[in-house]
Amino acid sequence: MNKQSYDGTARYFDYFAGGDMRRWSPSQRTLFKNLKGKVLYIGIGTGQEIVNFPVGLNITAADLSFEMLKRSNQRVENYSGNINRCQMDAEVTGFADNTFDTIVTVCVLCTVKQPMNCLQELKRVLKPDGQLVMFEHVLSKNPVYAVILKMMSLITEYLQGTYLDRNTVANVERAGFKIHSHKNIYLDIVKALVAKPITGA
Amino acid sequence: MNLKIADFFVGAFSGALVAGVVSYISPPFMPMLLGGLIGMLLVIPLKIAFMPLFGAFEVMIPLGIIGMTVGMGAGMLSFTDVASNIIIASGSLTGLIVATIIHFSNKRYTAQ
Repeated sequence: MNKQSYDGTARYFDYFAGGDMRRWSPSQRTLFKNLKGKVLYIGIGTGQEIVNFPVGLNITAADLSFEMLKRSNQRVENYSGNINRCQMDAEVTGFADNTFDTIVTVCVLCTVKQPMNCLQELKRVLKPDGQLVMFEHVLSKNPVYAVILKMMSLITEYLQGTYLDRNTVANVERAGFKIHSHKNIYLDIVKALVAKPITGA
Repeated sequence: MNLKIADFFVGAFSGALVAGVVSYISPPFMPMLLGGLIGMLLVIPLKIAFMPLFGAFEVMIPLGIIGMTVGMGAGMLSFTDVASNIIIASGSLTGLIVATIIHFSNKRYTAQ
């Protein structure tokens, strides 16, 4: 999906994600307790998850779509902390090496064109002792659920640019991270993950 | 509405709707196969309608199963003399059973 398509998606993004936010907010609040130091929030979208962040963080938020960033205004203003936003591609950010203590992604690795490129870029800008905090959905290992996800992926790719058939956990490990915490939120599809870069990998 | 309860409501309602439509259409040949196909197609707009209310995956997974199984069952039953309200009731019950199985499957996965 390109920048223009994401701009188009922004109009109905909040509506379609409403159910997910009602379901996932408690789990996200628990996961986001891990956020500390200088935080990069990649793929802010319309900023739905901001309400689940702990207060007082220093966050740099990036998104590919200007329309999405525009729609996050109110939520950013309401946050009791510091959020600086910028328009950027998650696969090629403009940040220097080893900039952030924590990087947080929420349903980003299911959307970017090349998840491996994105993960390698995140590893580059993350400090060696930093952590990658992810709230992502992946392809189920259960064959029944996997078939349903693969079929639905054809529709969601068209409607929202979201792929439901990605093996994000394996991708994270292949990109040179070690998974430190792995929790299933819904079946084995929606997951809360915390990973740390393997030094030298 | 409590979202856990909503899962069972979505299952029962979708099962009844799929069974009702398949029974009304009453596929004239290959009833099981066509019923399953109609069910699978029918749940696509249902998924899109329910997702914003109840969550994407919590709707997508049960309805994916309900569409095919209830459609096949209703297609087969509609080929016999079974009354349509019985077909709708069995569709609703199947939907409820699928929702229950997924509920316990989810409990098992999230406990890991």
